[in-house]
Amino acid sequence: MFQKRKGMVLAVVLLLVAALVTGCGGGSKPADTPKAEEPKEIKIGFLGAKTGSVAVYGINTLEGMKMAAEEINKAGGVLGKQIVIVEEDNRGDKTEGANVTQKLIDKDKVVAIIGDPTTGITKVAAPIAQQNQVVLLSAGSTGPNVVEIGDYIFRNTLLDAVGGPATMKYIVENKGWKRVALVTSKNNDFSVGLSEIFRKALKEYGAEIVVEEYINDGDTDFSGMVTNLKAKNPQVIVFSGYYTEGGLIMQEVRKQGMKDIVMVGGDGLQAPTFWELGKEAVEGSISYAGFSPEQPTPETAKFIEAFKAKYNKEPDLFHAQGYDAVKIIAEAIKRANSADPKVFRAEVAKTKDFPGVSGVTTFRENREPIKSPVYLLEVRGQQFKLLEKVPVN
Amino acid sequence: MTFLDNLISPYYTQVLIFVGIYIIMALGLNLITGVTGQLSLGHAAFMSIGAYTAALLSIKAGFPLWASLLSGAVMAGLFGVVLGFPTLRLTGDYLAIATLGFGEIMVVVFYNLKITGGALGLSPIPIKTNLVNVYLLVVLAVLVMYRLQHSRFGRALLAIREDEIAAESMGIHTTRYKILAFAIGSFFAGLGGGLYAHRVSYIAPGDFGFMKSIEILNMVVLGGLGSIPGAILGAGVLASIPEVLRGLRDYRMLFYGALLVAMMVFRPNGLLGGVNFRRLVLRTVRTLTGDRRPAGGDKTGVRG
Amino acid sequence: MIFELIVQQLVNGLTLGSTYALIALGYTMVYGIITLINFAHGEIYMVGAFVGLYLVTAMQWNLLAAMAGAMAFCMVMGIVIERVAYRPLRRSTRLSALISAIGVSIFLYSLMLLIRGAQPTRFPKIFPDRMLSLGVAEISLLQLFILAVSALLMIGLHYLVQKTRVGKAMRATSQDYDTAALMGIDVNQIISYTFAIGSSLAAAGGVLVGMYFNAVFPLMGYQAGLKAFAAAVLGGIGSIPGAMLGGVLLGVLEMLGVAIGLSSYRNAIAFTILILVLLIRPTGLMGRQIQRKV
Repeated sequence: MFQKRKGMVLAVVLLLVAALVTGCGGGSKPADTPKAEEPKEIKIGFLGAKTGSVAVYGINTLEGMKMAAEEINKAGGVLGKQIVIVEEDNRGDKTEGANVTQKLIDKDKVVAIIGDPTTGITKVAAPIAQQNQVVLLSAGSTGPNVVEIGDYIFRNTLLDAVGGPATMKYIVENKGWKRVALVTSKNNDFSVGLSEIFRKALKEYGAEIVVEEYINDGDTDFSGMVTNLKAKNPQVIVFSGYYTEGGLIMQEVRKQGMKDIVMVGGDGLQAPTFWELGKEAVEGSISYAGFSPEQPTPETAKFIEAFKAKYNKEPDLFHAQGYDAVKIIAEAIKRANSADPKVFRAEVAKTKDFPGVSGVTTFRENREPIKSPVYLLEVRGQQFKLLEKVPVN
Repeated sequence: MTFLDNLISPYYTQVLIFVGIYIIMALGLNLITGVTGQLSLGHAAFMSIGAYTAALLSIKAGFPLWASLLSGAVMAGLFGVVLGFPTLRLTGDYLAIATLGFGEIMVVVFYNLKITGGALGLSPIPIKTNLVNVYLLVVLAVLVMYRLQHSRFGRALLAIREDEIAAESMGIHTTRYKILAFAIGSFFAGLGGGLYAHRVSYIAPGDFGFMKSIEILNMVVLGGLGSIPGAILGAGVLASIPEVLRGLRDYRMLFYGALLVAMMVFRPNGLLGGVNFRRLVLRTVRTLTGDRRPAGGDKTGVRG
Repeated sequence: MIFELIVQQLVNGLTLGSTYALIALGYTMVYGIITLINFAHGEIYMVGAFVGLYLVTAMQWNLLAAMAGAMAFCMVMGIVIERVAYRPLRRSTRLSALISAIGVSIFLYSLMLLIRGAQPTRFPKIFPDRMLSLGVAEISLLQLFILAVSALLMIGLHYLVQKTRVGKAMRATSQDYDTAALMGIDVNQIISYTFAIGSSLAAAGGVLVGMYFNAVFPLMGYQAGLKAFAAAVLGGIGSIPGAMLGGVLLGVLEMLGVAIGLSSYRNAIAFTILILVLLIRPTGLMGRQIQRKV
């Protein structure tokens, strides 16, 4: 009896070890990871979350990327080679982010990595990409200290430091809102960073923050916080967090009887969930973005049409950024006439006036993007409508 | 280092480094929960104290790696004493709840402190953790734990786990021993945290939440409470399983949950729980050498 | 003005607290009987909210019917979970059962994530945003409804546990498992009942909270579960009136914290209070004293 049990233990242990070894050795063999060392392909890695709480950004970025790759491949590829997107899920977890980055570089031999859409994981992945001399282009990370990590690190997104002040200037000067309530999501790095930018800009344009409140991402109860806001009677609620909390806060605001006040925020509010949760409570809310489906450039119009045909839904900012990122890399490879990241890195850095669907992009000396213009959008009829176009230089 | 890098691909190196870090932390928790029987649900809080202390010393004061790591670990150990002093009077599940609460409070505190950068976190932390220094520390941790468990101190801890009142009546100062065990366990959590920070180069409070504590606890329980090889195996399996299950793609976490239940139902004492390693090795050696004497081994009940 | 603000926050806290209390009841009942911290309880609450949402939107049921449907669904789910994941572990260490519970929790969360995605879904508005004046403060119809339903369910539970045969058997099992079995109580059945009742209360809580906060999403069980758990311990885990008291108290204290400008420390408030109470009264406010057996 005792003997048998021990035998079983050993068997279980051996089995697990075996599973581990074969699991590791075999690696993942997803359908779109093709056989090793095919010179006919150029592999671009997707780094992002497909599950977990930030999965939306990852999945949308990936959809945009896939569409771009498909278009390029249909037109004959780059340097006669097909582009293959290698996708891995990191759950929004740093340990997995590091593992995935290493795997993409090491096992899949990607020449460039696109992602992560969040600043946090980008900061973990960037040193690894830099060390292995693989181009990392983040489509979405907006926070500080990202591109400083090294000369292989780029990002293509509207920076908070550009969009934030432009929006604050608009609401103070054009709308005349001077008594502001500022709400920050304390456990969201994007929100904490953007609130600092908002605070500085509001001071500069002569508005007063009459009440400041904090929430956490994942909270659902905002009754106490809104009661505090109401007591100070502000003219506008400036919120630096994401659309989920934004929509829910506005629901509570209306519930507590503040009838006309609207929410103003960053591109974190840019998702249909904002009005799906907020319904009529978010009508009139304003946010900025580097992308508007109403944007009249022909590239964007074509993109929107093709996207709708492929996915049967409206593209959002992350779709557009993922799409542009693949195109920027492909362009650079074409210009460099090489798919070696050590060679085409310099061409990525030279990207100038790239007519992307998420806005026109030029990389500065420090690999930060200049994206112009900034679009101020307003929710009207449960959709973001163009309010104002602010050029940036 | 470069030699090893050439031997093992960077991807496996990366995974192995995280496995090593988790082994160190799991060994710490094993001393608290496995050997002493005090359920802690806040191990990640001590990991975070170690990670932040070490990272801050590296970034702001330019400490060398070993000094940062040691300071982080000592700081975590000190916090272990500070938390342990009042709460270790609580028994069983209440201690678990107090440690859970402490973990949640630490996360909120880190979000609000200026020096830790709030949600923006700390970066860039120099990447200095590598395969060699991690596994040197793993070996060190295993040796320390082994010596501890097989000393008078370790036997006192076991006595506390088995019957606290009996232990007390045998003249064991139970509170002092429990606090010491808690401090040493937290020290290793802090050490792991420091190593983690110097690998991922960017830390934020969200990395050290309740789920991280649970992850480490799972490793200890899965391997077998109180067993050093068990803690190593548990950490090895669970830290690499998300990578192994990568082929399952979106169904990965679903599988992970089901796997936890299945393992507990079929091996409730963990994979190596109740396995006396010394005896197992002796038996194998004897079988191989043809010695027919019955396997002996120590009878203290120490598994490991 | 300040006074009105505080009263208003008390009303907010009371509503929030009563939802904590509904979830806390399930924790406390299960713990009282088999001393297991059922970590999957928060996820049961989440599933309950989704079932309720489905019945209201896709099946067009009315609110009360949908709530009953969600409660019935979670009742069955609670029984199944206990059978599959906890019963085989009843004679092994508490820790193994705890890990198994965590496994169930991860499983349920990941399952809902696969089915519904991470995005919250809006709960359709059933009550108009009408505020009733209470003189110094206002209360919405919905808040009133939540308070009423919570109170009704808790009174029903109290009656069930104190006045019925099943309740008596439950109390006997919770006092001494083995003796209860010897006295001819089918403890397996009683434990099933306990899980069924606890889970159905969680489902009711899920529907009410989903409606109150307007959002149903896979992660909603996590924070709510932890806070409700804290509430159960605060009141004295194993004690049903304790769970109600703990829930309401936590809700109110949390809101008062927000009122005095501590909103950035909000999630720490519950646990700080919890630790302080444990240090002064280690068994919670209304918990029975644990006898140290020699």
